[in-house]
Amino acid sequence: MQDTKKAARAWARQQTRQGWRDAMPVAGLGLLGTIAAVTQAFCLAAWLAAALTHTAFPWAALGAFAALATVRAALQVAADRRAFTAGATGRARLRADIMARLLAAGPSLLRTRHSAELASAAVDQVEAMDGLYARWIPASMLAIAGPLLVAIVAGIADRWAAAILLLAGLLVPFGQAIAGIGAAAASRGQFLALARLQARFLDRVRGIATIVLAGRAEDEALSLARAADELRRRTMRVLRVAFLSSAMLDCAMAAALIGLALHYRHALLGHGGSPFTALFALLLVPEFFAPLRAFAAAYQDRLHATGAAEALVDVPAMPTAPATKAAIRTVEAHGVSVAFQGVKLTWDASRGPALDGLSFVVPAGEVLVLAGPSGAGKSTVIELLLGFVRPDEGRILLNGADIADIVPQALSQLTAWIGQKPTLFAGTILDNIRFARPGATAAEVQEAARQARVTDFATLLPAGLLTQIGEGGHGLSGGQAQRVAIARAFLKNAPLLLLDEPTSHLDPATEAEVLASLRRLAVGRTVIMAAHSAAAHAFGGRRLDLRNGKAILARGVA
Amino acid sequence: MRPLFRVLYLWRHRAPGLLAGIAVALASVAAGLALMALSGTIVAAVLVGAAIAAPLWLRIAGPARIVLRYVERLVSHGATFRAIADLRVWFFRGFSARAAGGLGFRPAGDLLSRLIADIEALDGLYLRIILPLAAALFVVPAAALLAARVSVWSGAAVFLLFAAVAVLLPLLVARDAGRTGVGLAEAAGGLRIAALDTLTGLREVRAFGAEARMQAEIARRESALIGRQREAAIHVAWANAAALLCGQFALLAVLAATSAPPVLMVACAFLVIAAFEPMALLPRAGVSAGNAAAAAARVLEVAEATPPMPEPLRPIRVPASFTLRFEDVQFRWAADAPKVFDGLSLDIPQGAHVALLGPSGAGKSTLAALALKVAAPQAGRVTLGGVDLSATAANDVRRRIAWLSQTTHIFDDSIRNNLLLGRPDATDADLWRALDRAAIGDWVGALPEQLETWLGEGGARVSGGQGRRIALARALLSEAPILILDEPCAGLDAETERAFFTTLNSAAIGRSVLLIAHRLTGAEKLDRIWRLSNGTAIAAAA
Repeated sequence: MQDTKKAARAWARQQTRQGWRDAMPVAGLGLLGTIAAVTQAFCLAAWLAAALTHTAFPWAALGAFAALATVRAALQVAADRRAFTAGATGRARLRADIMARLLAAGPSLLRTRHSAELASAAVDQVEAMDGLYARWIPASMLAIAGPLLVAIVAGIADRWAAAILLLAGLLVPFGQAIAGIGAAAASRGQFLALARLQARFLDRVRGIATIVLAGRAEDEALSLARAADELRRRTMRVLRVAFLSSAMLDCAMAAALIGLALHYRHALLGHGGSPFTALFALLLVPEFFAPLRAFAAAYQDRLHATGAAEALVDVPAMPTAPATKAAIRTVEAHGVSVAFQGVKLTWDASRGPALDGLSFVVPAGEVLVLAGPSGAGKSTVIELLLGFVRPDEGRILLNGADIADIVPQALSQLTAWIGQKPTLFAGTILDNIRFARPGATAAEVQEAARQARVTDFATLLPAGLLTQIGEGGHGLSGGQAQRVAIARAFLKNAPLLLLDEPTSHLDPATEAEVLASLRRLAVGRTVIMAAHSAAAHAFGGRRLDLRNGKAILARGVA
Repeated sequence: MRPLFRVLYLWRHRAPGLLAGIAVALASVAAGLALMALSGTIVAAVLVGAAIAAPLWLRIAGPARIVLRYVERLVSHGATFRAIADLRVWFFRGFSARAAGGLGFRPAGDLLSRLIADIEALDGLYLRIILPLAAALFVVPAAALLAARVSVWSGAAVFLLFAAVAVLLPLLVARDAGRTGVGLAEAAGGLRIAALDTLTGLREVRAFGAEARMQAEIARRESALIGRQREAAIHVAWANAAALLCGQFALLAVLAATSAPPVLMVACAFLVIAAFEPMALLPRAGVSAGNAAAAAARVLEVAEATPPMPEPLRPIRVPASFTLRFEDVQFRWAADAPKVFDGLSLDIPQGAHVALLGPSGAGKSTLAALALKVAAPQAGRVTLGGVDLSATAANDVRRRIAWLSQTTHIFDDSIRNNLLLGRPDATDADLWRALDRAAIGDWVGALPEQLETWLGEGGARVSGGQGRRIALARALLSEAPILILDEPCAGLDAETERAFFTTLNSAAIGRSVLLIAHRLTGAEKLDRIWRLSNGTAIAAAA
């Protein structure tokens, strides 16, 4: 856990560096705004000093004040726009980075992580980083430059004013260091506990049906109330200290105002102080502290981003690109032959090897059924052939070429794959079939739908093949979804067909229909099918029984 | 705005704390204004030779401001935490008494995510909307009254300009947020779906070499979202700029009163500068208010909907006998939906193990929903131990029926707490017995933290088979005499499935079991098999 946090913080730091350049214009515009505000303070002091000393009112100063007000408003709009752009650029860069890493890591990720959790990292957690780029980074730049600029101007008017401002300004980091060390340590320690308690509510709402159907809703409501009470107690304990460090800011500003007011009262009472300087110095106080306030307000954004970064840092790192040699060429008419030679693969060392020196041969155009219980290595064979993972030892040959030498694009052109439950994307049925080959003509897509018998059930749907399916669309039954997957395979027309328990979720009648479609699809292709149901074993062809990653019974695959 | 008032009404018991927060906030704002105005006045008064007590007041206002601000933060945060907790518990109670049970029968990930986001949008209602607004409503007349002493016109101008910042701009921004909120939510939903599609379909994406295409689609959805966000952000930026201009012109209105007493003018100018500072936050509060109002409307709709199955006024207690019987049941989910059951009659005798088979869509899960009182038949009746379910309390029924399906949730909690949901008063020995009967006791026993092992979000840290067994152990732990298992092995391989049923045969002796499946593995020991078709059940040989 400690390592995760350390990594998250290092990663957030790196993201901060990248966001630095995007934030430059925001900070620059902010600084221009401070210059305009300081000039306004100058005009205002001149005007008020004239009123107090009964000299002629400097109307030009008032005009300049009004003009500068408009300039400040324009600068603020520009700064807000640039801040948004900085945030959007940062998020887009981050999201592209995360998605590239997830796509590179590939399907083996889904063995250990839930796709919803990964999607939430790529969408929600990246959105939560917005405040870091749009507010925290520019604010932290301005927090030093802004007050410094104001202090320099004050110093030109009066050294004492600058000294008082800087002293009060130093009170902020100094006071925050004293009050803040405790607060920071406490808040870091409590952060995980808080996150857990917060997650508890979310989790209980997600599982609310289970709670209600167990007749435990009231018990759970009471325990939520207790947990919320504990959350409040813990949070307030942290906040009591954390607010002390916010109080330092109020303290510094009050000290500056009181210090300056009393200093100039003394000066004006017969030590030759100028009323203009006095008013100018006092009017600079709010401008001196405004960037520090913005900085304190943006601290929330940073905390948010650190929380999000902890979820993002879990995303696997970009794998180094494998050295690819020449891509093999295949002639579709001749099909693809497959050979495993002493293939070993271990997913998880504590659970032993998934494949333990497996060897077999499937000539082009033949069917091989892989049988055996769960964990025997059937799916691993399929995933190796898809290039999702690489063997630890041994070789896999396609038409005599080592699979490791085939570039991923060429490999994906060779193979079509149908799994246990196809993923249907949000879109029409036609879109979902076309996914297999985006360049296909409308006629080809229609033909694939017909061959896979998608057309049979689609005519009963509200919009036929143009019915929206997937998230937020019409739900298809397991058998119908599998037909869409078969249509994809027809459209792709690849010489090697990999089937991973394609009927395990279907009732016997639907299973028979889907198998009939698969048999049509299998004609003229090399087929490797992992299966455990009896009907699937009647698919015909060669058969290989696996147990614990080894072949125990082979029929025609020696 | 009405939903927001309804939420405030829910907080009426927290009124003392919430009002105290507002009172301290006002005092702290007043001290802040005094601090700035007095420091200007001191300098001005020296010049015109007026003898005033300002230095003393200044020495009071400074520390007062610091202390009041600290107290304000403590009081208002303490009050808001209590209010948020109340809101969440209230929502949980309301939702669980209404539609929540039905979620067990359909996937509701998106609906729940939206509701959770809505509840969180209400978190800032007090701190980020009500408090700044209350402070502004105090500052506007205070600043206007002081400015009126400079000149009537200055007072009127300050009042109008500040009122525009405090009321008009936030209202405009809130309306705009309400309008753009829909489009924003749609664009965000589009991005979420594209990402989820890609990641759920990682196998398809890799197998079809679609990485670049999917990434391009995500980038397209993202830029659509960013475009909408930019539009909203620019509106807020203009509102902020307008607020700044209003503040500046209010100051000009004070300065323009050249015939006013100079000390008063200085004091008033400093006050207006200080007064504007808390008001600068208001346009942003308008955005939060717009979002919160929309969120409150959705949350109320769910938590205060009419319950689909009103509880009987004087519920009859379910007797100890537990034969479950469906008598000539007619059912459809909605008036315009097709009939699921048309004269369905079947019974599950006390202690019998019964399977219900049928193709998907035949209404197998609906049968479970009727038994669990999630829905009521339009005609006919469902009885438990001879008592019509419509005359009983839902919780009474649900304590007698343990239900296990694919959607059964594994909580992000320890194994112990996951099991205790089945029976809160169970001892450790009970827990281990249930785990052993679900054939997962050895696995848990070998874990370093045993019962305290954290299961992760949605049971993410255990495999599908292990998660299902823990859910089975939870069902076995409950004292419910009837087990309804709705496709308990979907997603598990054949070997695991057979092992699961072998376990079940011995673990559930003495209880009724209703097994819902699309086919049998052969490992089940059954007294009776029903087949569902055309809305009725046909008894088949066991």
